[in-house]
Amino acid sequence: MNIFGRGKTSGNTSRENRRPEKDGLMTDPRTHTRPSEGSAQMHPLATELTHALGSRKVLVSAGERRMYSYDAIQMGVVPVCVALPESTADVVLAVKAARAAGIPIVGRGAASGLSGGAAPTQPSLVLSFTRMTELSIDPVRREAHVQAGVITLAISEAARPHGLVYPPDPASFRTSTIGGNLAENAGGPMCFKYGVTGDYVKALEFVDADGEVHRLTRDAYDLAGLLIGSEGTLGLITEATLRLSTPAKFTRTLMSSFPTVGQAAEAVSSAIAAGAVPAKLEFMDQACVNAIEDYLHVGLPRDAGAMLLVDTDGDDLETVEEELALVEAACQSSGGTVRRAATDTEAASLWQARRSVSPALGRIRPQRMNEDIVVPRSVLSEVVREVEALGVASGLKLVQFGHIGDGNLHPNILFDPRTESEEAVHALAQQIASVAIRHGGVLSGEHGIGSMKLEFMAEAVDPVTLACLWDVKRALDPQERLNPGKVLPRPGEARHD
Amino acid sequence: MKNEIALHHPDAQGLLMAHAVDACVHCGFCLPACPTYQVLGDEMDSPRGRIILMKEVLEGGLPLFEATPHLDRCLGCVGCVTACPSGVPYGELITSFRGWSEPQRSRPVIQRLTRAAVLTMLPRPALFRVGANVGRFAKPLAPLLPQALRAPLDLLPNTVQPAQPLPEFTPAQGVRRGRVSFLSGCAQQVLTPNFNAATVRVLSRNGVEVLIPPAQGCCGAAAMHTGARPLALEQAWRNLNAFAPDEVDAIVSNAAGCGAGLKEYPMLLAGEGAANEVRAETLAAKVRDISVYLAELSADGGLEPFMPTSRPIKVAYHDACHLAHAQGVKAEPRALIRSIPGVTLAEVRQGDLCCGSAGTYNIEQPDLANQLGDLKAKNVIATGADYVVSGNVGCHTQLQSHLARLGSPIKVLHTIELLDLAYRGEL
Repeated sequence: MNIFGRGKTSGNTSRENRRPEKDGLMTDPRTHTRPSEGSAQMHPLATELTHALGSRKVLVSAGERRMYSYDAIQMGVVPVCVALPESTADVVLAVKAARAAGIPIVGRGAASGLSGGAAPTQPSLVLSFTRMTELSIDPVRREAHVQAGVITLAISEAARPHGLVYPPDPASFRTSTIGGNLAENAGGPMCFKYGVTGDYVKALEFVDADGEVHRLTRDAYDLAGLLIGSEGTLGLITEATLRLSTPAKFTRTLMSSFPTVGQAAEAVSSAIAAGAVPAKLEFMDQACVNAIEDYLHVGLPRDAGAMLLVDTDGDDLETVEEELALVEAACQSSGGTVRRAATDTEAASLWQARRSVSPALGRIRPQRMNEDIVVPRSVLSEVVREVEALGVASGLKLVQFGHIGDGNLHPNILFDPRTESEEAVHALAQQIASVAIRHGGVLSGEHGIGSMKLEFMAEAVDPVTLACLWDVKRALDPQERLNPGKVLPRPGEARHD
Repeated sequence: MKNEIALHHPDAQGLLMAHAVDACVHCGFCLPACPTYQVLGDEMDSPRGRIILMKEVLEGGLPLFEATPHLDRCLGCVGCVTACPSGVPYGELITSFRGWSEPQRSRPVIQRLTRAAVLTMLPRPALFRVGANVGRFAKPLAPLLPQALRAPLDLLPNTVQPAQPLPEFTPAQGVRRGRVSFLSGCAQQVLTPNFNAATVRVLSRNGVEVLIPPAQGCCGAAAMHTGARPLALEQAWRNLNAFAPDEVDAIVSNAAGCGAGLKEYPMLLAGEGAANEVRAETLAAKVRDISVYLAELSADGGLEPFMPTSRPIKVAYHDACHLAHAQGVKAEPRALIRSIPGVTLAEVRQGDLCCGSAGTYNIEQPDLANQLGDLKAKNVIATGADYVVSGNVGCHTQLQSHLARLGSPIKVLHTIELLDLAYRGEL
């Protein structure tokens, strides 16, 4: 299955000219603001939970509830109440209470997601996992045992003294929780060579829609695999056992700048064709470079049309250097200027720059629509050129960056809703999606579907597969109480303009 | 973030707040940089949460009282500004918001009295000295007093050091290389008089004339950050009239909070008339932290050589928030410390995190201030350093008090005191 996995480019429908629904895609829709706020009366579920869990673990005031209505892209519906469980037992209590009250449940980590996954689409109970932060390392078995609220980076920090590392590295890893990473099957630059979050899961514990606790491993039916990337729509992941690996002994970093985005993409295709398997291979265009440079002042090439940032790594220095030389040669033959990072500090600052791209775009325009397309590497240069040309033709500010090594690109349309037409933004987004599909790509690489990509999902999945996904959903959550309005469009919900 | 703040508040301060909220893309990169989010772990006690709370209140969607408990917990350390890729001027937002909201709030009597007492005494060294002397004798009674009165007593020194009055003019030694005006601060004249004396000695030794305009007063940062905008404006006027930025190379401050306060005058005076806005800009542009001024001097012909230390010494540098985050000054003090022969520099773990002092925070949020102070002291102790130095009187007092509580022998100094001791061969 896993039609939306990173790097997968399986077939898609090619129906054209469909316009995504506004509210599902835009940041800050004003349609859902302030329902039920200001009312002094506590929701019966809030009363019930305060009694069951104690007031310390339940938020009921209007201001506090509002704080749990959004993620890093979408403003959602204010929850009827928020529970802050400290154990799986607390989660069970909360789920059973919500079930009895007939209130939907939305799981939430640090709300750094980019698809609206943690933003409720209707009045709900939000379960915030930020207090479930137990973490232990088993160095002999090379495992980390984590509760859902553990900060992603904390896993590697705890593993490092044992000579171990947890490779998945989403840009928000200082903020994001492992529960959210599991729910979205998060990726990051390291995932090109080392795999995404789901590839590190040995076992999961989750609470189902009835409040029953399940412990899953990867054998027999891979039910853990089903929960990974399910965005809280099949169950609430409470704990996980993660595989740790040993960090590479040597890492080398280079930065290459190119006159045009197309040349940068060509260099990627030819480096990989030549046999290089970089640990990380990232791309950003001129507007991205300048937005980051305004923030960090690390000396990135402001005049370049595009740049690549590359790590090669391994335990054999000679091989690492050889791979870097392959990448370097590919960059130069595509017209790139190459600079190697001289020190670890310089490399670290370049990677901090890369992690800052997405939020730094806020410096250009206050709002954006982000895309998360994955296309075959053989067509990368055509795709980035076509996307760039669409941006120019539209008159809107369009930027591109992404994990280009595995064909995962994030075209972002940046706009100011006070002065620019949201219709035009939607039209451009749709054109970009069509480019990806026409070249055999898919529409979501790593951010998840959430509510933002729901319409894209409707286009990308054939009706038979969608019906099968709904069967799975109904088997585990027949009442549709878990994160409703996410991941799965209703059959026939796709718009046919 | 889309907002309608400007519609509800079309004045200069309202536009300032609207622009700050505009810039926020609610990505959450600020969360790990926020001391209160680190301690409490709840969204409403994070910068992102607070920005949205302020937006909601300003738009009329949320009553002020729903937001104030969480806004009051903000230290104003602006660690989030350093962490913010999209460039949200959070410091301007919270300061302007506090100035706007304070007049609408009704605080308990004891809180109002403490606030008034602090804002009256801090800026007046003579009065503060009397207060500190009286408070010293009240210290043994502290356990009997309510928390609101215990916290300010905690901050007072056990012994009040004699005043060290400084001349209005100190000539340069040797060839004259520069001429600066010095902001002598207020509370630190009583709490740590050696900071200023050491500053003048080091500047003069390096060929810099030091003017201390007698008409100057408190920079107004404490008033500004607690929402007492009229008082802050009054204090700013006094300094705008006392300092003549065109006649000196720099206006030097040795207190991170005060230097940052002077640099905030353009924000404070926004909407007070175009000519005044220009005056504020001109003054702010001349403000340098002592470490930055010395680093510039060092780059432009070097500093007088330091005496080597008598034995190898390890110095931990503590980043004051109002230097590292508010003014972006991190490299200069480190370079100065490293330049003393025999000194090695140690970094403090979680160095970006506030020590919990933050102006009047110790008094108004003693529990959080204590938790953060304890965390900071433990991280400092873990460096195994002989000295910990910082560039701010508030951090200095907080470090002293929490290191002492943990029984640590680590000595606390201002960066300039360390340099001064090195010149005197006393390290």
